[in-house]
Amino acid sequence: MTTPDLRAETDGSGRAQRPLLEAKGLYKSYGEVDAVSGVDFALDGNSYVTLLGPSGCGKTSILRMIGGFEEITSGALTLDGARLDEIPAARRPINTVFQSYALFPHLSVLDNVAFGLSYRGIPRSRIRPTALEALKTVRMEAMADRRPRQLSGGQQQRVALARAIVNEPRLLLLDEPLSALDRRMRKDMQIELKDLQRRLGMTFLHVTHDQEEAFALSDRIIVMRNGRIEQQGRPDHIYARPNTAYVADFIGGAVCVPGEVVDRQAVDVILDTALGRFQIPGAPPLTAGMAAVLCLRPENLSLASDGLPARVTHCVYRGSDWIVECESAGQLLQATALDTPPPPGSDVKLSFDPARAWAAAAEQGVSA
Amino acid sequence: MRGLPGQIGTWLAMPVVAALVALCLAPLLILLAYSFFQVDFVAISRDPTFANYVKIAGSETYRGLIARAFGSALLVVAITAVIGYPVAWFIAKRVTGAKSTLLTLLLVPLYSGDLVRIFAWRVLLGAEGAINRTLMWLGLTTEPLAGLLFSPLATHIALTYNYLPFMVIGLWLAFESLDDAWLEAAADLGAPAADRFRRVTLPLTSPGLIAGGLMVFVMVAGDYLTPQLLGGASGITIISAVNDLFGTAFDWPLGSAIAWTMLAILMLCFGAGALAIRRTALVSEGV
Repeated sequence: MTTPDLRAETDGSGRAQRPLLEAKGLYKSYGEVDAVSGVDFALDGNSYVTLLGPSGCGKTSILRMIGGFEEITSGALTLDGARLDEIPAARRPINTVFQSYALFPHLSVLDNVAFGLSYRGIPRSRIRPTALEALKTVRMEAMADRRPRQLSGGQQQRVALARAIVNEPRLLLLDEPLSALDRRMRKDMQIELKDLQRRLGMTFLHVTHDQEEAFALSDRIIVMRNGRIEQQGRPDHIYARPNTAYVADFIGGAVCVPGEVVDRQAVDVILDTALGRFQIPGAPPLTAGMAAVLCLRPENLSLASDGLPARVTHCVYRGSDWIVECESAGQLLQATALDTPPPPGSDVKLSFDPARAWAAAAEQGVSA
Repeated sequence: MRGLPGQIGTWLAMPVVAALVALCLAPLLILLAYSFFQVDFVAISRDPTFANYVKIAGSETYRGLIARAFGSALLVVAITAVIGYPVAWFIAKRVTGAKSTLLTLLLVPLYSGDLVRIFAWRVLLGAEGAINRTLMWLGLTTEPLAGLLFSPLATHIALTYNYLPFMVIGLWLAFESLDDAWLEAAADLGAPAADRFRRVTLPLTSPGLIAGGLMVFVMVAGDYLTPQLLGGASGITIISAVNDLFGTAFDWPLGSAIAWTMLAILMLCFGAGALAIRRTALVSEGV
């Protein structure tokens, strides 16, 4: 993996076109509870974006506001520069794949897919062929006459997709679409979803709590927490350059060693931790005196002849390599080893490349 | 040993089955047998004949009364459905805490007797009743509206009021199992409100509509107290005709034949309703 450029936040293409969808200060409260507390983001055309966060972080509320199923408490949503909030759900050029699929149980698969076509000014004679075409896209044309309940979860998922994309929406919303599928099916559907998005050139906004899914699918990830955006950007950028300890932990389980920023030098910060003092790249908002964490991922830490003294506590074989759990200066760390590591209790040395380590803001830190 | 619990169940059900056969089915079959007999002056001749059924089919009075009974039933089903849909939707989808209270309130009128409710309507609709007095007090009319009480209008108002709870309960159950996501999906796909009702709500609540409708239909068709006490001159029903035939005229065979004609039509309706409920789950609208 190449270390991404810190300034890669603009996606590198340097386009200045208007975004497809824009949320400004989007806010949603249910009585006393704030589900979404002022978020700003923009979606480009022809892109796959995921809203990632644990349950209750407000991601589904955002999706439902875009779909038109929830009113916006305050803030603005624009699609192609036009305000979206006054348009009822039925007239938005946006379609949704619901978490439960919400296929109409009284209609056949074909009639489900054809449902929306009668509202799009398509001649009656074209409705059936168009619906069949969409079913072909998701390889479900053989099931056209079945009822939804006669289909497996994966098949229902495909029909729900066909029913949404047949209307050629400007934006497709997917609400945890893979959560009801088993692991294997989920992997297959991830590939199909990404492939479908590329073929159709549509923008997909996908809500999930599964960071693996987000990585597999997205051009851009928006990490959410407690109704706010914690960080957004390209997947590799978020993975390598998490702004906060929360993101570092949520995305790919980094070990976070608490410390304090002593000094800031351009891209790098000098960080004091229980393990020692390091000069490593750090999140942009970090300045001297701020609490920060040293993020170390297992793949960045290896057993070496020289480095941090540590004691092996546990080893897990993963097939391609070993995860070695070690303790160093009271900190639990995880390293990878290609060869069989020494047994628990052994003293080892751990080394890491400071350029690949990362300092993120500690808890109650910045939110970008 | 494995078959035993099932067998015990069968044996335990036996007394109930026996009671049903003896007390419900047997009288009906006796009635059916009577419908093929004939009255010969004061005795009953037991030569089987279709004469009673021919008489019903040939009599404009009986045909008219039967048609009116089912016509009234259909009308009341339609009115209760129109009133019941919003009420059931409201209880199922908009009420959270007070749901059981509202459902109980809905059923409270049923706890009071038929007669009490019917006479309550007399108080409301009568010439000196609450409605007429209010209208006159407001100066909207100078004399009481005559058609309010002792008219088909009064009968149907009271019938609707009496049997509305059954329709609401049927629809409420259907709405409880109606997933809001289906309506959101319909809106998402571009369907305006009227189409969401016609293409999604109506078909998916139709089992409740049919079940509630059948209950109302049967009960209105069999109700003779309400028309008799509120309908005035229009209060003669096929049921009161059966009553007269058994009681006053001593023509049990003709009474039985009318009763069985009604029963057969109602069973046909039930069969059609049951079939329709099954169809709603299996057949789809064409593209």
